[in-house]
Amino acid sequence: MLDAFSRQAVSADSSGSFIGGAQLNDLKAFIAAGNKRLDAVNAITANASCVVSDSVAGICCENTGLTAPNGGVYTNRKMAACLRDAEIIMRYVSYALLAGDASVLQDRCLNGLRETYAALGVPSGSASRAVAIMKASACAHITNTNNTTGEKRKMPVTEGDCNALSAEAASYFDMVISAIS
Amino acid sequence: MKSVLTTVIGAADSGSRFPTSSDLESVQGSLQRAAARLEAAEKIAQNYDAIAQRAVDAVYTQYPNGATGRQPRQCATEGKEKCKRDFVHYLRLINYSLVVGGTGPLDELAINGQREVYKALSIDPGTYVAGFTQMRNDGCAPRDLSPQALTEYNAALDYVINSLA
Repeated sequence: MLDAFSRQAVSADSSGSFIGGAQLNDLKAFIAAGNKRLDAVNAITANASCVVSDSVAGICCENTGLTAPNGGVYTNRKMAACLRDAEIIMRYVSYALLAGDASVLQDRCLNGLRETYAALGVPSGSASRAVAIMKASACAHITNTNNTTGEKRKMPVTEGDCNALSAEAASYFDMVISAIS
Repeated sequence: MKSVLTTVIGAADSGSRFPTSSDLESVQGSLQRAAARLEAAEKIAQNYDAIAQRAVDAVYTQYPNGATGRQPRQCATEGKEKCKRDFVHYLRLINYSLVVGGTGPLDELAINGQREVYKALSIDPGTYVAGFTQMRNDGCAPRDLSPQALTEYNAALDYVINSLA
């Protein structure tokens, strides 16, 4: 498992060079935006259960066949497994966002996931749609735009520009989508 | 590779829980100290050649016959070059360890097996200690770097010295 710092160490070691100049400036930017990153992780972990259940409920609403007999989440057992998996994916995305590097997501979650889902007969289209819903919802929580009409969520944070972090989180969700579809 | 972030994530993962607020607190603590570590790493990246040269000179003052103790003084050039290469290598790993904020790079890329290697090559680890001690004496705050950065740099040097002792 790597993070933004050890990623630089590994890539510098492959060429036997010191870490200096441009790479250090990248890391300084990472540190300067550190509190923002922690707020973003907090925003998605604090709302994880809501994001996860919305995504699974969302695919069931969009495709009513899923809950019908022989559907992807027919029986509570399969629905529970689906919710559990969505939460696991969400958890690894939050780790990746905290680390600033996708290696933990790739190594511990996505590696072999496509084959596992194929063997279990999980409909990959619905699964990736659920991840896409989680992506939209998580990014909205990070940028604090999850509620544009009423009051914002009751977790006051310093307002700031979190578009870079939201894009980073979106890239991790996209990795999940491309890994399972 | 071990660092504060990966340790926290590994612990959260083995409990299969989301990063808690105490996890985030400990990451924040590490990020606050990171500025000093990066300053030290930057200074090493800029000055490693001079630092290593001073260390080599100290080693050959203390051990005039080279690291193996068998080398006559007039043939020491090759030994000196290798000695400097090794110090640059250690400085590079110290640079990585300061960036990562943990001893992972030093442990994985140098310290594991170093005792066996030096034993097999009949190199007295004390020669390296002499060089690192010189580095430790050379660092001066605020002339070279800020006091906090010097503390981080010295801590990394102490870690290497202890591994050789």
